[in-house]
Amino acid sequence: MKNILLLFFLLLICQNISHAQVSDIYSPGNRNLFADFLYCQKDYLRAADEYKEILQQSDLDTLFLKIGLSYLKSGNYDSSSVYFGKIKINSLLYDNSRQEYYKSQFLSNHFEEVEKGPYFYKPVDKLYKFSLLLGYKQLLPKEKFLRPFEVDEKPIVSDFYDRKLNPPYKNELTAAVLAAIIPGTGKIYTKNYTDGIFAFLSTGIMSYISYTDFKSHHQFRGWLFAGLGTFFYGGNIYGSIASVQIYNAGVNFNLNLDLKSYLENKNYFVPDYDFCK
Amino acid sequence: MIKITVIILFSVICINAQTDWVKWGKVDYSYQVKQQSPQRQYSISGDNAGETALRTLAVGYWFFISDVDGDNCPFSPTCSSFFLQSVKETNIVQGTLMFADRFTRDMDFIDRFSHYPLSKNRHFYDPPSLYTLNASKIKYIPSGESVEK
Amino acid sequence: MISVNKILLIFVLIIAPAFGQDYLDTQFIKGKVLFFNGEYFNAITEMKRLIFFDKEKKYAYEANQLIGECYKAGAKFNDAVIYFSKAEQSARSVEEIYDTRISIVKINILRRTNLRASTLLDALEKDQRFNNKKNDICYWRGWNYIFSNEWDSASQQFSKISPEHQLKRLCDSIDNKQYSVTEAKLLSYFIPGAGQFYTGNYFSGLLSLGWNILWGYTTITAFNANRIFDGIVVGELLWFRFYNGNNQNAKKFAIEKNIEISNEALFYLQHQYNGEKP
Repeated sequence: MKNILLLFFLLLICQNISHAQVSDIYSPGNRNLFADFLYCQKDYLRAADEYKEILQQSDLDTLFLKIGLSYLKSGNYDSSSVYFGKIKINSLLYDNSRQEYYKSQFLSNHFEEVEKGPYFYKPVDKLYKFSLLLGYKQLLPKEKFLRPFEVDEKPIVSDFYDRKLNPPYKNELTAAVLAAIIPGTGKIYTKNYTDGIFAFLSTGIMSYISYTDFKSHHQFRGWLFAGLGTFFYGGNIYGSIASVQIYNAGVNFNLNLDLKSYLENKNYFVPDYDFCK
Repeated sequence: MIKITVIILFSVICINAQTDWVKWGKVDYSYQVKQQSPQRQYSISGDNAGETALRTLAVGYWFFISDVDGDNCPFSPTCSSFFLQSVKETNIVQGTLMFADRFTRDMDFIDRFSHYPLSKNRHFYDPPSLYTLNASKIKYIPSGESVEK
Repeated sequence: MISVNKILLIFVLIIAPAFGQDYLDTQFIKGKVLFFNGEYFNAITEMKRLIFFDKEKKYAYEANQLIGECYKAGAKFNDAVIYFSKAEQSARSVEEIYDTRISIVKINILRRTNLRASTLLDALEKDQRFNNKKNDICYWRGWNYIFSNEWDSASQQFSKISPEHQLKRLCDSIDNKQYSVTEAKLLSYFIPGAGQFYTGNYFSGLLSLGWNILWGYTTITAFNANRIFDGIVVGELLWFRFYNGNNQNAKKFAIEKNIEISNEALFYLQHQYNGEKP
């Protein structure tokens, strides 16, 4: 009898232990472990959802930061800004969160918010300068512009500054005049060499055929090829002007691409928090 | 060897985890295959009499000539569609000049890959919006890049 | 002699771990319920949680397999293949290995990477462990051929299972209805427009024929009249262009018609056929 009772109580204890284990994987500690695992697997949306579940039970700034980072890395900048903004000023993570907040604002092109960022956060100041390079506002004088950048960053940023201030644009009027004088040269001016050659040939051949037809008193054919020659000549001038605009758009595009590539390499000047190590 | 395999597998997992950055649900995919060649719009209705007349000519050209002489235009949209869209976006004179320029570029068979992006049907993507002389309408796409059009 | 208390203690120690595994079972059931309710994204989360906490990898196979099924339902085929492959690594029996490999074959059929599916099926056929699965492998080979529009080859595969197999009869009827692209092109090479007549595009065929006759006649008369330049220009820019177009159209119309015929069959297979599908 005693042994049966003992067995009964031992089994009851085991049952309680197992029940504790049933809800164990949903405990804040285990959820946090699982969320960190998801974050390190780059499964950011799931990680953010897990961190948010823990928030319901505890209110830690670390969690706000992790949720913000999860949303930031998955491209959800608006949500990331919200969570970075929840970290209080007296928190140890406040400075980190502010920098991440302004990084989110920069990535979502809210440059007016970045402008409001405090200048004693060097990364934010650098981001603001890059927003000027991306066309937010007029560039500052070079010395003032380069001030927040490190010594090893200055040569590259200085190059970006020069490219923005004096972009290697082509001139539309120049292209039009060149094309009017010698068909095809307007296109060659914008580095469309083969287009220029074909524009020259098409205008030239039509004009020559028209000339020989008129000389042989073939009036109809003469006017026909003269019309075609005019058609190609007009197209050549128009196309030269259009090619200048496309060329200049390409200059802007390549500059923006280089800027974004540089910023990505630098993680937007904000320290990277790798808690996956 | 195992480490490299694990690293590659991990990288593949990481890259593929990006599909779960947005919540998704069930997709009703179809076994059926889409037709390969794009279907033309043969409507002749336009906003005004001029556009209707132009569309009638274009549809006539498509029906009796273009649909019969094969797929010769390397560009997307085709030259005839380019002309119609150019006139619609600008006016008859400017549209004609845009078409003349397009015709010249069409003759240039050398080195297209270094000038134009590629459309879905493997033609060179060359929309009229690049040539309206309105710089704000230009959406620059680098050459060789694929476009979902 | 061991005392009763010690026996009891040993007995309890054996029973206790069994109770401890409840949470993994519960977690697995939770994931399955989400899957059957169509909440695939959340089902994947719960299965990943199960895998993370399952240190002994008791559920590694089932969990990865279910994640693969979830991704398949969401048409995320690349992800599905990854998790089916992980399930295969955790498989505990030949049957489980076979099931996951067939799941991968089905994914390759659905996303029309037919060469890959064929390679996988070849490997399955050569594997001695699956000698009893020959019919099943033929079945999926047939489906692979269906999805690559090779209805005659598909029919041959189904006939290996049974000469009167339902899918064999379907494949035969589709194969008979379809047009031969080679035949259409050959007809067009000899008589412009004939390829289009073959595929039922009569108006296009007539136009092709008319243009080719017109420009052919113009070219020949130009050469006959010693207008060589005119002959070359008309022949090259017009006659050759329309002749080429005629060949392109013959091929294009044959392919288009075949796609229409295939799509009818594929619609039936997807929505009305009761057998196993990819």
